[in-house]
Amino acid sequence: MRRVNRREFVKYAMLGIAGASATALAGQDLWQALVTGRNRAITIRLAMTEALVEMVDHTMIYHWAFEDRDNPAHLPQFPGPLIEAIEGDTVELAVTNNLPTVHGFRIPGVAGAVGVGLELGPGESRTLEFTAPAGGSYMYFDHLNAPVNRVLGLHGPMIVLPRTGNTPYSEPTPAVQQLFDHLGTTGHFPGEPWKPERTRIWLFSTVDPRFNAMAQRGQQIDATQLKEEYVARYFAINGESGAFSAHNHHTIPSGTIGQPHVVRIMNAGMTSDSPHIHGNHVFLLARTDLAGSYQVQENVLFVDTQTSESGGRMDWLLPFIRPPDIPGDHTIPLRRLIRTELSLTLGGVGQSPLAYPMHGHNEQSQSAAGGNYPQGLVTGWQITGDLDGVDFPPSNPEEKGGPPETH
Amino acid sequence: MAIRTIPLRPVPREEFPIFNKHVCPPTFGGDAIDPLRPTRRIARNLDIKMDLELRDGTKIPMWVFEDPDDDTEARRTFPGKTIRTVEGDIVHARVGAKFNTHTIHWHGIEPTPMNDGVGKHSFEISGNFEYQFATNQAGTFLYHCHKNTALHFEMGLYGAFIVDPKKPDIPEARDVPDPPYPPGGPGFVRAYNPPLHLVRYDVEALIVPDDIDTRWHELGHDAFMQKCDPDNPIAAGNFTQDGILHDFRPDVFVLSGEAKRADDDTLFEKAAIHAKVGQTILIRWIDATYTVQEVRAGLPWQLIARDGHPLGVPPFDQYSHPVDFAAGQPVRLTSAMRGDSLMRPAQPGRFPITIDYFHWITGKKLYTARTFVEVTAD
Repeated sequence: MRRVNRREFVKYAMLGIAGASATALAGQDLWQALVTGRNRAITIRLAMTEALVEMVDHTMIYHWAFEDRDNPAHLPQFPGPLIEAIEGDTVELAVTNNLPTVHGFRIPGVAGAVGVGLELGPGESRTLEFTAPAGGSYMYFDHLNAPVNRVLGLHGPMIVLPRTGNTPYSEPTPAVQQLFDHLGTTGHFPGEPWKPERTRIWLFSTVDPRFNAMAQRGQQIDATQLKEEYVARYFAINGESGAFSAHNHHTIPSGTIGQPHVVRIMNAGMTSDSPHIHGNHVFLLARTDLAGSYQVQENVLFVDTQTSESGGRMDWLLPFIRPPDIPGDHTIPLRRLIRTELSLTLGGVGQSPLAYPMHGHNEQSQSAAGGNYPQGLVTGWQITGDLDGVDFPPSNPEEKGGPPETH
Repeated sequence: MAIRTIPLRPVPREEFPIFNKHVCPPTFGGDAIDPLRPTRRIARNLDIKMDLELRDGTKIPMWVFEDPDDDTEARRTFPGKTIRTVEGDIVHARVGAKFNTHTIHWHGIEPTPMNDGVGKHSFEISGNFEYQFATNQAGTFLYHCHKNTALHFEMGLYGAFIVDPKKPDIPEARDVPDPPYPPGGPGFVRAYNPPLHLVRYDVEALIVPDDIDTRWHELGHDAFMQKCDPDNPIAAGNFTQDGILHDFRPDVFVLSGEAKRADDDTLFEKAAIHAKVGQTILIRWIDATYTVQEVRAGLPWQLIARDGHPLGVPPFDQYSHPVDFAAGQPVRLTSAMRGDSLMRPAQPGRFPITIDYFHWITGKKLYTARTFVEVTAD
């Protein structure tokens, strides 16, 4: 076993410095460890702190947030830093509570004390070891006064990759295994198999500023009152809303036809939303059931909309097939078949590449500050080129098509 | 120590057009882009004002679609008149924005972005536009306006979109007309049933739960939209701060266009299903709410499709299989999910169907809508 500092492979933490807590999986060291098959020892040092998070309309809202103590700038992040591990890795976790009241730390699905949950008094630090569990998507959070402390900002993602196999799971169901075996090897999935770096995290969160203001004043927040009176005013994906989450390349899957991506959805907020994706259906790979137990699916549905429960997780495979309802000869590359559309520039933005949204279909989640559609829970994905790997030509900035534009 | 800030990420000037378009899409119109010869033409106009009447005579203002090619009363309905096409069709859909600007999103159908009806990834229609798309997957979809969607979907700008499979050349198809099949049946649905993966149904029903916050129905077309400023699309001054489109408080509950107040527990007659012993009933569930539904039937049934895809049918649905539900076993649905289910009643009787509505945050039950399946002896 060799020790590596997580700074070497967690790019997510570095992004946090710029305030964009979105994630991209790119760490070379992680893939090297997968190839060599060695168990590693990982050290993670988190602190709980206060932060003012800027909303999409520039309102500053008080939060409790995690900071990565190995991040050179020591800045808080919202959501918390990404923990990435390989099944079986030894994770040494140090958590410090720099807040004035008792806080907790828990990762459901992990064996031992971390899975049950720690409690830390003000100023207290604890260091524990745990073994990275089976491959899958996990969320760490402050489980005390549930769901208050989680919703007020103390949450973050953990991804565990399996030691072997071609799926995101250590124990895939037969249906999930067959699906991943088919990627790039069958007529209906031409292109490439899934590559673990083709992964995105979509961590949903909500804000009701009245409760954040109570926390800032040091008032005790009653969990029942929060559940009964909560009115979500801001909705975010990876800490960003609206145009910011829709155009962050760390958040949106991007590739040519035949480059499937896995999307790991975690809902740390207070709402049960109904995320809907355009352009392709997605395979529902894994999800938490109503009791909170995370299950790789035995019956893999191919859906365009699926409930995301408050506190729950679910994984999608976005197959990056050619959008099936583009009419015309499917042997003709799109760069030729829809040449006019790709050439157009509408509203100052080119129609190339092909960009599709993903958004909550409980559409009140598309608002910010009570309106401002669509500045809420929205992101998207884009197809940059054809199956043969040739990118679509860029749009012509002078080609507006049709009648003159008006605003 | 001062509380540290987590600022928005800086937006460079060259990203301003895309940030501006996100909220303030351009308008566009005209004929189909990259046109092909269509096999089917459809048309819809919007938005048409209409009142939804409750039993006590109260009228709720709605916005609905109109089918300009239909000269009967059915041209303007809530939900919008069902669109039916056939698997493999190339569709030209002529859409007229009669007042202001709108789009139509063909939910679950997956064409190019300019034909997908989302303004921030294409444009909004001023005047007319002809959308072009194929309907290559037989199943249950919906269509709805995707402008200021929180409001426009709530106001009633949605309808069912059904893609029918072609009629098979088998004896039990003899009394079934050619597709698109007549509303109410008989017809064929794509479902696991080797080798053709088609199932004949005798009775077809659409159950479409919706909910209404009557406060929202007094708002204007662009209510609480932020200001457009291409020179600074992220400016704080662009944002409205007084809206209510985040705060959905339903006080009227709807099933397939029939609306009742929260204190009205009478049966929903419009969604009721009438069949005979031995017949096959196809129910297409389309969720048009902003809450969470739990659905129960007093008869066993089988879920055969989700979101327009038939469970168990190769190639894309070979990783799934149909699911049997016992009488009374709940199924959860949220906004825009669709489920197709088959029932085959073996004895006569009246069997309840209930739809519980739960708040999307508190989880509290807001209402139970009750309808039924009436089965008579053959």
